[in-house]
Amino acid sequence: MVLEATLICIDNSEWMRNGDYAPSRFQAQTEAANLICGAKTQLNPENTVGVMTMAGKGVRVLVTPTSDLGKILACMHGLEIGGELNLAAGIQVAQLALKHRQNKKQQQRIIVFVGSPIKHEKKVLEMIGRKLKKNSVALDIVNFGEDDEGNTEKLEALLAAVNNNDSSHLVHVPPGPNALSDVLLSTPIFTGDGEGGSGFAAAAAAAAASGASGYEFGVDPNLDPELALALRVSMEEERARQEAAAKRAAEEAAKKEKQGEQQSSSQDVTMTDQDSVPASEADDKKKTTKHDEGLLQEAIAMSSTPSYPSGRDTNMSEVAEDDPELALALQLSMQDGTKDAPSHSDMSQLLADQAFVSSILASLPGVDPEDPSVKDVLTSMQNQSEPQEKKDEDKVSKEEEEKK
Amino acid sequence: GYREDEGLYLESDADEQLLIYLPFTQVVKLHSIVVKGPEEEGPKTVKLFSNREHMGFSNVNDFPPSDTAVLTPDNLKGKPVVLKFVKFQNVRSLTIFIEDNQSDSEVTKVNKIALFGTTVETTDMKGLKKIEDNH
Repeated sequence: MVLEATLICIDNSEWMRNGDYAPSRFQAQTEAANLICGAKTQLNPENTVGVMTMAGKGVRVLVTPTSDLGKILACMHGLEIGGELNLAAGIQVAQLALKHRQNKKQQQRIIVFVGSPIKHEKKVLEMIGRKLKKNSVALDIVNFGEDDEGNTEKLEALLAAVNNNDSSHLVHVPPGPNALSDVLLSTPIFTGDGEGGSGFAAAAAAAAASGASGYEFGVDPNLDPELALALRVSMEEERARQEAAAKRAAEEAAKKEKQGEQQSSSQDVTMTDQDSVPASEADDKKKTTKHDEGLLQEAIAMSSTPSYPSGRDTNMSEVAEDDPELALALQLSMQDGTKDAPSHSDMSQLLADQAFVSSILASLPGVDPEDPSVKDVLTSMQNQSEPQEKKDEDKVSKEEEEKK
Repeated sequence: GYREDEGLYLESDADEQLLIYLPFTQVVKLHSIVVKGPEEEGPKTVKLFSNREHMGFSNVNDFPPSDTAVLTPDNLKGKPVVLKFVKFQNVRSLTIFIEDNQSDSEVTKVNKIALFGTTVETTDMKGLKKIEDNH
């Protein structure tokens, strides 16, 4: 809960028009800056955040450090791109702005985004770094965009000059499919040197990965066990209620043409889950994700084979849209309850189930069930999953026991 | 003992300036000060501020020092610098700001700082006798 005044320095030079970070470097930067503002104010309500630009017509402070998130978010709109980055002047102005903060008890921190070539010499940056250290100002640098050695070298020298007891950090973000903000979430910039910031980061990571990764209900059982327990209990009550409702609705749902799509979509969910694994840090999260994968395999196996226990609730589209995890767990719990029921093949049930699976996947962003490559992978998975079905069922039911 | 060891010294970090804060456990009057250091990197200009808490390098020039001393190599060997006694009659804390050193090098080194003075008349707690009850 460190009391901190942070000043975020945005690089709004011409280099920010580049689209190597979707949708453009500048957008990625503003998103990341917004996330940082949120995280800092959440860490401690007395924290203040300010914003300034380092390129454009000249170095300009847009918002002096304030705890009013609205003001900060508003000023990010309508920022113009242009000019060249002036890192030295930018950092010095930031230091001055922090020096005149209202609450002298706050620690001083500058977060700099560097996405264009630095025109200053290494020596100049080192001197600035030493001045920052002398005035106990911490500096976080986000290096993105420019891959050339010159920038990296200069920034590392700057970090070495500023760093005091690891309070300053340098983060390199290579261009790629991951959003700049997502990559930053797992860095010390957000996790606040391993303190309470991780709670916000964990929740944000879970939200960013479409709720499939992270903790079961987006709440860390370690951070808040009572809340997690309360959520789980209410979820189970909800499940029971909806099971009854769904059984009635199950008779009506029967869509034959969706069969192929279901299968390919199920595979997509598995892949999305695997993608979200890197986003999560703690071991707990990884275990939960593997659990989900097991559930998914189970779901795919069950939907692909004609013989499986009846009584499964199938038309759960509303629930599935909200929480694919919930839907799968629901499936699992029902499978548990009806394990002893006579297994008879019911075509409508099978298809309805696939309708349900496809509705989960339709709700997931970026999943295209029509994709041929996805379909191929799925069919190959199907061939593997059938012999594994029995094994998965046992494993999954055992995990269910442990979970309870 | 180790207090006179020349190998032990205080060294400045980012640049050649040093800021040292000494709070006292009771009010004192200061008479003189000794600053010992190596001939080359020892301190030259030393500014003393009395009763100023939480000074930083940024506000060190914001108010005038209670006294300033320019040290000679003799001082660095142990010759005391006599202070303006009138300014140090009622000292709760002392801030020593070392602005530069003898050879203008990047690093300033200090071996020893000694303060000479007296305490101010305060209540002697041992002399207090407990009042009998039923008064």
